Amino acid sequence: MTKRMKAALVLAVLAVAAAAVSAAFAASARTPGVTAKTITIGGTFPLTGPAALYGVIPKAEAAYFKYVNSKGGVHGRKIIFKYYDDGYNPANTVPLTKKLVEQDHVFADYGSLGTAPNLAIRGYLNKAKVPHVLVATGDSYWATQAKVYPWTIGFQPDYPGESRVYGQFIRNKVPQAKIGILMQDDAYGKNYYDGLIQGLGPAASKVVDVEKYDATQTDVSSQIVKLKAAGANVVAIFALPTQTITALVVITKIGWHPTAFINNVSASPLFMALAQKSGANVDGDISATYLQDTINNPKTAAAILYKSILKKYDPGADPNDANNLYGVASAWTLVKALEDSGKTPTRSSFMSALTHMNWKNPFLYPGLKMLTTPKERFPIDQQILEQYKSGAWHPFGHVFSKAR
Amino acid sequence: MRPKPATLAGLVVTLAVAAAIALIPFALSNYHRSTGADVAVFFVAILALNIVTGYTGQISIGHGAFMAIGGYATAILTHDHGWNDIATLPIAAICGFIAGVIVGVPALRFQGVYLALTTFAVALAVPQLAKNYSHLTGGTEGLALPTHTGMWLYGVGWAVAAVMFAIAWLLLRGRTGRAFRAVRDSEIAAASSGVTLAVYKTVSFGISAGMAAVAGSVYVLVNNFVNPDVFGLTLSLYILIGAVVGGLGSLWGVLAGACFIQLLPIALTTGSVGSSQSVPVVFGAVVIGVMALLPLGAANLLRVALHFGSQWRQHSDTPLGTEGR
Amino acid sequence: MALRPSTSWIVPFALVGVVVFLVVGSVDSALFAQQTVSGLANGGIYASLAVALVVIYRATEVINFAQGALATFTTYVAWQLITWGLSYWEAFLATLAVAFVGGFLLELVVIRQVERRGNVLTVVIAAIGLLILVEGATGWIWGNGIKFVPSPFPAHFYHLGGATFSLQDIGTIGISLASVVVLWGFFQFTKAGLGMRAAAVRPEAARLVGVRVSWMLSLGWALAAVLGAIAGLLAAPNPSYLLQPSMMDGVLIYAFAAAVVGGLESAFGAVVGGLLIGVLLNLLSAYVSWVTPQLLLPVAFVIMLVVLLVKPSGLFGRTRVRKV
Repeated sequence: MTKRMKAALVLAVLAVAAAAVSAAFAASARTPGVTAKTITIGGTFPLTGPAALYGVIPKAEAAYFKYVNSKGGVHGRKIIFKYYDDGYNPANTVPLTKKLVEQDHVFADYGSLGTAPNLAIRGYLNKAKVPHVLVATGDSYWATQAKVYPWTIGFQPDYPGESRVYGQFIRNKVPQAKIGILMQDDAYGKNYYDGLIQGLGPAASKVVDVEKYDATQTDVSSQIVKLKAAGANVVAIFALPTQTITALVVITKIGWHPTAFINNVSASPLFMALAQKSGANVDGDISATYLQDTINNPKTAAAILYKSILKKYDPGADPNDANNLYGVASAWTLVKALEDSGKTPTRSSFMSALTHMNWKNPFLYPGLKMLTTPKERFPIDQQILEQYKSGAWHPFGHVFSKAR
Repeated sequence: MRPKPATLAGLVVTLAVAAAIALIPFALSNYHRSTGADVAVFFVAILALNIVTGYTGQISIGHGAFMAIGGYATAILTHDHGWNDIATLPIAAICGFIAGVIVGVPALRFQGVYLALTTFAVALAVPQLAKNYSHLTGGTEGLALPTHTGMWLYGVGWAVAAVMFAIAWLLLRGRTGRAFRAVRDSEIAAASSGVTLAVYKTVSFGISAGMAAVAGSVYVLVNNFVNPDVFGLTLSLYILIGAVVGGLGSLWGVLAGACFIQLLPIALTTGSVGSSQSVPVVFGAVVIGVMALLPLGAANLLRVALHFGSQWRQHSDTPLGTEGR
Repeated sequence: MALRPSTSWIVPFALVGVVVFLVVGSVDSALFAQQTVSGLANGGIYASLAVALVVIYRATEVINFAQGALATFTTYVAWQLITWGLSYWEAFLATLAVAFVGGFLLELVVIRQVERRGNVLTVVIAAIGLLILVEGATGWIWGNGIKFVPSPFPAHFYHLGGATFSLQDIGTIGISLASVVVLWGFFQFTKAGLGMRAAAVRPEAARLVGVRVSWMLSLGWALAAVLGAIAGLLAAPNPSYLLQPSMMDGVLIYAFAAAVVGGLESAFGAVVGGLLIGVLLNLLSAYVSWVTPQLLLPVAFVIMLVVLLVKPSGLFGRTRVRKV
């Protein structure tokens, strides 16, 4: 090789090296929250206040991230997860989210909890083109309004989708149903109500009474008594955990034996056990789930992993609290999305991964798939019904798919 | 205590502080400008509370409700009727004033803790009303408004604060202010020297509520969102904390109080490791500590340090009600 | 300060009328009876916390906004003791003891510093700070998940003429009333109780006869803490509350109202206030259909304020003569 050719070769190699280095640098300089060794995400959650019982979720998510970090992270990057307490007050959510984006320079807003808090930050995040992902709320907006807010995507099955399943079930399997509904008198309750009516179809005429309560009321006994008096033999309880437990106790107390449908959010085994200890007869109650059944199948790989992660990284956590399993399932999804975002993730590649899901999440019920397209953004839209018997939920029947 | 313009020092300090507030945003990031706008909101809210509690001696733990009225007025007019943001502020003030008078009238009958309960009830009732009339207010899902840059928010917030401060200052140095203070110090003496108690007490509530409503409007603009949870009881309690920590009966303490309740929690959130579970513990402890060390608030510290204003009441008398003992 | 004794026969008369109304209604309708009893049970919890508020108010003129959070904290202590293996009743008594000592020390070490140089409002703000601190600490120490606390009463239901009552509800009413009676006995018949009353009304004179006034203040906080602990232990097994850091937030609202409506100087008034509010909320919810669920709370408060408008110093409060 001549000296000239050697020089040219060296220069070429240097040029390529320089380009590669500056590309890597430029990528991380352009993408907030991503460095060579770390990736920072953040979210807002109610750690104090009346919704604080959901505050276990970010801790479970943090535990999963610690586990992933212990195995080297994602493409060599450790996940840094910052979560702040907004107390379920949107006036706190907004400044805290601005802090996450503009001061903590997070790569994405992950898992933030609550419909109103997320509605408050959605505009800001989309305007700033910050991924607003896997939001912890069952509203449908995160999918139905994707055209206007393309940087936003949800995670769990939406509430109307869930109650549609109940409606379809009652319509097909409970022909003599006379349906009573207890619902929270706001958008939360209305979401479930609408889905139920849709699922019932022509059977909607079998609804004999609808009773409402306000979130500030803790005693729903008069509503339950009225539902019984209306002659219902099926009752759908679309309420928050506290009122659900109270309703179940009152049902037993007044000697009523309807088939009760309970929304997934309030059906955690923990709440059912509390209801039972307070005197409720909860055998036979029906709900729906999409999560792995770690209680009846404690020996599956997923169940063992779940419990060991909690034990090691979130020691106070109760594995029977389904919110913890929710958190781990959600965290798995985030990690998978990061893996699929390429060696050096950008916000666009990240959103692309999330809107092209075709995954089997081990923490979901076996057989369920996480599927999305850019136009169809419900990651989980399959559920299975479960019935409570002898102290645990038992899934039954087939998986309801595309329940919309 | 009112700043005496006769004192050159007072004027100079006022101008210096105003200049600082006007110039700081240029050195701040967008995020910190938004934070500054939040401080302005609470500046106005605490100023409002000071008028009715510090100067007229009527305790209120319900000012969050008046903020709600202003906030919702702005949100509804902007969201549903396409009004310009700033144009809604005077409307909010008027709505707040009316609400304040409505609360002020039954409040005439009550003193001290009983009045506190009345305002407490108002603070709880207003968010419930917002939930009830959800076709108007958006209910629990609220109303989302367009976002603004930090600079815009800061500018609007502090411009409003300056206007409110000027109004308060003019009001309190004149006859109305003297009447308010007379009502606070001794109702019986005030009445016997010709102050129509009912009128002045109600007016003080009205003005205070009107100001708080404007604060609520700006609050909604800063957060580009409104729903009943934004105006819960916690908000009213924080405004009261800010007013007392700043120093009741002082216009200067208002700035200190607003900074305290806005900046301290944020600083604590930044400092906390991992999660923000420890923030309320530290904040609560600091509030207790401040009450133990500076019972008359930051304004008293300023007074002692700068020899401001001899009208400032030295003595730890209750400014609430006048039950003689 | 001169106190005129409460003037009227109107209030006792009205109360008797209310009782008659409740009894007649209960006999007439099973729903009415059930609502009344569960309303009284809720009211019993409000009443226990309300009496705690009154005890401190009488001693210091301060409304202790932290009373509910302190009650929740002591209930967590009970939960912890039970988790560590104590039986329910052992944990119950141990918790009351912890509450007593804790309340005493809290006043002595913390509140005293604030009281010394501040005024009533300063202490109220410190109490609000304490509320924020304690509720935050509770979540920090024990986490946010809901925890189970057993009830001293087994889950039995009694049927009587079409209506069903739970032993839990009846037991709650019983314990609330019993604790108030014990407290009343303490104030009427024991030396410490008399000392506390003297210290509250005439501190200087009390000092002259040998009452250690500052100890009486701490004793007041200690007793209030015990009452709060009882309220918390009654609330936690109730499915309407459940042990969580914000458990007593709602109760505090109604306890405050009950104490004021009852007349802040009177523990008996606080109990009556609490029971009435509990029943009022339930009956409104069951029978008045134009009151949408969201309006229940405002309507209840309007009713309370109307009562206050008629009797501005509360049902059993004493009107004070104000000196110039």
